[in-house]
Amino acid sequence: MLNNDRHNYIRYRIGRIKHEYWLRNRKNKQEKLLDSFDNFVIKNLKPGNTCVYGCAGYYLEDWIKDLTVVEQWDIVKKIYPKAHIIKQRKDLFNTFGCSFDNFIVTNARGDHWVNLDGLEEHIGFYAKTIKEDGLLFYTFRDTQIPEWNRLTTNHYDYFFDWAINIWKTTGMHCVWKDIKFADRTNPFAMDENPDTTNGNIKFIFAKNREYLKINYA
Amino acid sequence: MRTKIVSNTSLYKWTKNFANLQSKFYAEKYKLKRIHDIEQFIVEKKFKRVYHVEQTRLDINIPACKSFQECDLVLVTHQGYSRFSCSGLIKQIKQWTNNGKHLYICLNRHYLNIDNSKIPLKLSDDYQTAILEWLQQSLGNYTVQELSDRYIDKGKHFTWSVPDKHYYIWKN
Repeated sequence: MLNNDRHNYIRYRIGRIKHEYWLRNRKNKQEKLLDSFDNFVIKNLKPGNTCVYGCAGYYLEDWIKDLTVVEQWDIVKKIYPKAHIIKQRKDLFNTFGCSFDNFIVTNARGDHWVNLDGLEEHIGFYAKTIKEDGLLFYTFRDTQIPEWNRLTTNHYDYFFDWAINIWKTTGMHCVWKDIKFADRTNPFAMDENPDTTNGNIKFIFAKNREYLKINYA
Repeated sequence: MRTKIVSNTSLYKWTKNFANLQSKFYAEKYKLKRIHDIEQFIVEKKFKRVYHVEQTRLDINIPACKSFQECDLVLVTHQGYSRFSCSGLIKQIKQWTNNGKHLYICLNRHYLNIDNSKIPLKLSDDYQTAILEWLQQSLGNYTVQELSDRYIDKGKHFTWSVPDKHYYIWKN
């Protein structure tokens, strides 16, 4: 595998498609694009410190105060010098302690290609940095999660059951969900599952708290 | 500064060039084993006119023909078909294999049953086995041969360049 800035940038960019928002927003200072799901996230953030991990979250700095951007790849430092580069999730706590009121991981490619136990392990590391009552906004695509049987498993139950049970190991309670799959009223349609940008499976988890009033406005 | 809220924005346009893009990740020139396997299969089975249904452009060496009517083999690497509903894909396979045509189809396992339909068949708990069983049971009077390797895909197998599960299908 090559290892130079051009190559590393292309690899990063292919996997973090919201980087495109950042590129477009740099060109237009008058009007900035904000993804509708990110708008929803912003409206539901708790006051305080917010960490966005592994998903080109630097594009959100115009809307989120006290934003900490963490990425896994050194190349991001050249794009966005304020980014913290942390390659291992276990080092998040060593670096930040338990300091975040909100933690955002939106369809982060670096989190994927593990089974649900792997996702739960990732969330365990994020949870250590989240204060009591703090929120984790966590989204992904079903197509990036291996080791499950798509023909014999109810997809909705599979992901929802996982989400409502991870509090046992992480302390994070599922307080909101949005799980959608493609509509095949037309059996020959080829479109992807909804929202390839943010992921078709979306959760909000709250630390040691079982209820959250959601702002849909 | 004004904020414009956007949704369903197309943020990437590299689907057709994805294989080419991935190939540039390496300094050495290489050929994906899956492409090599398809080429070898076509040579060994002596197919002369292959109608290739593709999306991502592949550097594949086959005796391609431009007309579906003229072909003796339909080769499908277009992963959009993996996103058909299960019933839609079975109907499409039957359509391709009308008039005695043989089919080599590459399916992306991560897309199958995209709409979360209940499949009214008795299938194995093992996903890779279940895919073959689903095809065989749904295509009763067809022969379905699996040609793909068995492995757990953890995102390092170029599945979005060439879909990973390969089947050779014809009507008996």
